[in-house]
Amino acid sequence: MMSINIVAYKCKKCGRVHFPFHDRCLACKSREFEEIAPKGNAKLLTYTTIFNLPWGFDQRFLIIGIAEFENGVKAMGQVDAQSVEGLKLGMKVRPNWASVRQQHGEDIYGLKFEPIE
Amino acid sequence: MRDVAIIGVGMIPFGRRDEDSLMDLLAYASLKALDDAGLGDKSVNAVYVGNMGGGIIQHQTAIASSLVDRLSLLPAAAETVENGPASGGSAVKNGLLAVASGYYDYVLVVGGEKMREVTGWKATDFVSTMTHPEVEYPYGVTLPGMAGMFTRLYMEKYGVTREHLTAVAIKNQDMGALNPYAHVEMSISREGILDSPHSVVNNPPVADPLHLYDACPVSDGAAAVILCPLETAKKTGKPPVLIAGFGQATDTHTLQERDDPTDLKAVSLAAKQAFEMAKLKPADIHVAELHDAFTILEIAESEHVGFFKKGEGAIAALAGKTKLGGQIPINVSGGLKARGHPVGATGVAQVVEITFQLRHELPKNRQVKGAENGLTVNFGGFGNNVLAFVLRRVQQ
Repeated sequence: MMSINIVAYKCKKCGRVHFPFHDRCLACKSREFEEIAPKGNAKLLTYTTIFNLPWGFDQRFLIIGIAEFENGVKAMGQVDAQSVEGLKLGMKVRPNWASVRQQHGEDIYGLKFEPIE
Repeated sequence: MRDVAIIGVGMIPFGRRDEDSLMDLLAYASLKALDDAGLGDKSVNAVYVGNMGGGIIQHQTAIASSLVDRLSLLPAAAETVENGPASGGSAVKNGLLAVASGYYDYVLVVGGEKMREVTGWKATDFVSTMTHPEVEYPYGVTLPGMAGMFTRLYMEKYGVTREHLTAVAIKNQDMGALNPYAHVEMSISREGILDSPHSVVNNPPVADPLHLYDACPVSDGAAAVILCPLETAKKTGKPPVLIAGFGQATDTHTLQERDDPTDLKAVSLAAKQAFEMAKLKPADIHVAELHDAFTILEIAESEHVGFFKKGEGAIAALAGKTKLGGQIPINVSGGLKARGHPVGATGVAQVVEITFQLRHELPKNRQVKGAENGLTVNFGGFGNNVLAFVLRRVQQ
């Protein structure tokens, strides 16, 4: 299994976790960050099925969600499910690093959340 | 700082306008505003063009330079203002500040977009370019997708249901059916979109829990206003409309970094600033144009600007409090929902609509009787850049 290739940023002064990168902390304006990796499983905070996809996606629909990792990193990703029927807010999901789209014949990798409840 | 008034407005019918180029749309709306202001063959000092997609969709840049040439407004100062779906509002703001500062006396502000030139796939991709390029866009998220995720949270937190959303859709389509500038001049019924077997076909999901009739159409269109100092405006024939208040605020680029993603902080702040500048309260507003790119946004914004408490906007909409004749008529134009949402045009179109209202020149079935104060909210990104204007009718 491929490792989750994202870096989050914890403010060295106030501890706020940022993802994506900011040059200054959203809370205290400090410029010093510790790079952290998202840890453990994640909690699904919200989700939707997108039926009108943008150019570049050759499929009927796509489920997208935002999830929070055990160490507070929050990130968007695709949800690995066939419909939203089995999904609920707050459910546990396993983060995987997988192809999320193709561009110029190349796979683009990103977060895919797999429901595990 | 000088008081700034609107002395001319112009708009062209929104919709699918295959026969017109982006420059045609901008020029037609501008000429109507110039004529409405009584400027005839006179010029203006400066031109601000609100446009989001010319560089991407039409493969054309420096649009304002082209427009002043086409309109023979040379050597007026000119620039294009790009601020996503709030480009129109930002263009109005630039015009406002330019006149208020005393630097320019007459300014043309025009917002326009031509989105139907490309396929739905391409238009959706174009709008998605405002999402975060690294942590959102690659996943295929769209603006309806953002709105779907927001709606799911809003429903969970405040008990909003599809019935509430449908009330907004029906109201705005009913009003759009009366507005000759609207893209979708068509009423819809509750049975047609919610309560019957046909509704499954008529109103499919676009980004659950949002359905087709919760979303605005993709449109072509343009709208324009002419601004000048209030003292000059008082000498013209029409009731001057004062830009009494203005506010703008930003929020995090990504939804995930907001402590409470249901809290549209930039909407609250922009409206608060506009009310403070105008020395008015939400209860003083007689008519509002809110940015209902999705029905949920009309409900959420009606709460965030202070018309209703959090969680009560949906109930108010269902009870008819936001209809013409209700406590606070919202989107009497049909809103983005029915008028359409040519992204760069919307912020200007909202100001044009409120100007029509405050001049009392609309037909009875669309006019808010005796309206003196109006509010607009132009919502950029997914609430990460929001502008609000309070407009006031000035007695001559």
